[in-house]
Amino acid sequence: MKPVAKFAHQQGFCLQEHELPFYEYRIDLYGFSAHHNSTVAFELKLADWRRALEQALLYQLCSDYVYIAMPERSAGKVDVAELRSQGVGLISVLESGDCSCLLPAATHAEVRQFYRSTQIEFLKESASA
Amino acid sequence: MPEADANVILRLGSHSEKEYVEKTIKQFDGVMVGANLLQATPGATATLLFKLSKQAGRPYYVDPMTYAFGSYVDPDTGRVRSDLDWIKSDKKVKGKPGKLTRDFKSSYAKLAETFGPPYSTAVSRSKAVEPGDFTSDQFVEDSCRRVLAFEADLLRNVFRQDPVTAGFADQFPAPTALLAPYFYIEQSRMADWIALNRRLALASTAVRNDIPIHIVVCGHRDLLTNAAHARTIIDGLKECNPAGVWLWFSRFDEHVASLQELRALRAWVEELSPQMPVYNMHGSYFSLALSKVGMAGIAHGVGYGEQKDVVPVIGQSTPTVQYYVRSLHAKFSVPQIIRCFTTLGVTTPEQFFRIICDCVICKNIVGKDLNNFSQFGEIHYSRPSAKRASQTPAAAKRCRYHFLLNRSKERDYVRANTLRTIADDCNTAADEWRRTILAQSIGHLREWADVLR
Repeated sequence: MKPVAKFAHQQGFCLQEHELPFYEYRIDLYGFSAHHNSTVAFELKLADWRRALEQALLYQLCSDYVYIAMPERSAGKVDVAELRSQGVGLISVLESGDCSCLLPAATHAEVRQFYRSTQIEFLKESASA
Repeated sequence: MPEADANVILRLGSHSEKEYVEKTIKQFDGVMVGANLLQATPGATATLLFKLSKQAGRPYYVDPMTYAFGSYVDPDTGRVRSDLDWIKSDKKVKGKPGKLTRDFKSSYAKLAETFGPPYSTAVSRSKAVEPGDFTSDQFVEDSCRRVLAFEADLLRNVFRQDPVTAGFADQFPAPTALLAPYFYIEQSRMADWIALNRRLALASTAVRNDIPIHIVVCGHRDLLTNAAHARTIIDGLKECNPAGVWLWFSRFDEHVASLQELRALRAWVEELSPQMPVYNMHGSYFSLALSKVGMAGIAHGVGYGEQKDVVPVIGQSTPTVQYYVRSLHAKFSVPQIIRCFTTLGVTTPEQFFRIICDCVICKNIVGKDLNNFSQFGEIHYSRPSAKRASQTPAAAKRCRYHFLLNRSKERDYVRANTLRTIADDCNTAADEWRRTILAQSIGHLREWADVLR
């Protein structure tokens, strides 16, 4: 989690919450950048990228950008074209603790302002609590 | 094959579900209650069933739950267990704060006492009933007589014992049928358990002829496709010739079942239904559609329950009640449905009502704002210390009522259409949703269509 959180921070997503509830799901890491007024969700998986993609597609409802983050050895096995077609990004977590962005997430038309703003509010409340 | 009228029996799991049954019973064809519920709350259950009978005239059944006293396969380890642990719970020890002891749930302990040996013996020795415990034919008959008497007479006796209800006792309807005691056909000793169930079935039909006797076949899903054991059971049923048979294949979920299993279920129904009504004790739309080849009905709970394992997995958190999509005959999470909106062309409430659902619940909830659909999945922290958010009771209630109304519509639809049309509609829905994110989750539609044709 730490390398991904650091990566998100470097991208400007300074307000962060891990295990953020979204219906019966929990987003592994959700971030908000006040500067860019944008949100990001990360789905962390050790190996099963297809399962990660299923989750990531749902998180698009509340996130401007969605990434799947996997260990380097698993990230190499992902069908990047499939992720690209869905606008989902891919991050490889290296053994050094750094992250390498293999595919940048794209903006998409699935985000619902209703859910996005609810999640941002939740983030802000959590941060001030 | 004889076509049957598709029937849906609602199973009441606990009294917390009675509101659903009371409000929707006129849409359905009967109610089933477990003997453990009856034993734990005889007064409340009797009052409810009497009310339902007066209100809607629907039949009721009592599941004797005798399988609970047999050996079972631990879902965690896969090992056969005979310690009856799954009908036990941790109980506080009086006078010793903080100390817990593992003991039988009171409803099952009382049930065993009422049923007498070998159930009471099993509880007192804390070891499951074995086929060898039924030592003689007389013993089997006596045991069957007690179990059937419980199903047939307990409710009326409850009314008789209470001065307030005593005057109505004679009006209390008898169950539509009595379910013979039955045990799970555990895989390591299939032949023994099949033989015992056969004895119980034959004895039950012999000792009581005032109310029709139904038989329950309860086994692992593998039993469906086990040709040799299936043949023994089917031949035994034909010989016994009960007034009905209920099939319950543990771990058999029609949504993820293989083609072979689905075909096997159809074959069981086609073979048995010319001689006796066949019901699926925990079935879904597929079984409902099999009414076209003889399935007389299905049962399930108010919060789905279209599949049930004989031994529930312990320790899971309360599952979210998901949203049922009638055209897919399956349930999905609210975000999954919303994520399909764009692909399906749902951008307004009117489109939602046309493409997804126009039941009265959905019309009331969605109203004029599509965002209101999220109310089916609302979450909250049930208590300040809760670590995980969970579905609100109100959201769960919406999903259940929506499901029940849709199930009633499905039943009517099956009754009114041919098997060919039902199968074609499964394929059409699969086509319509194939570009959504649910494409990988609706494979059952093509398989059902294939088997139903």
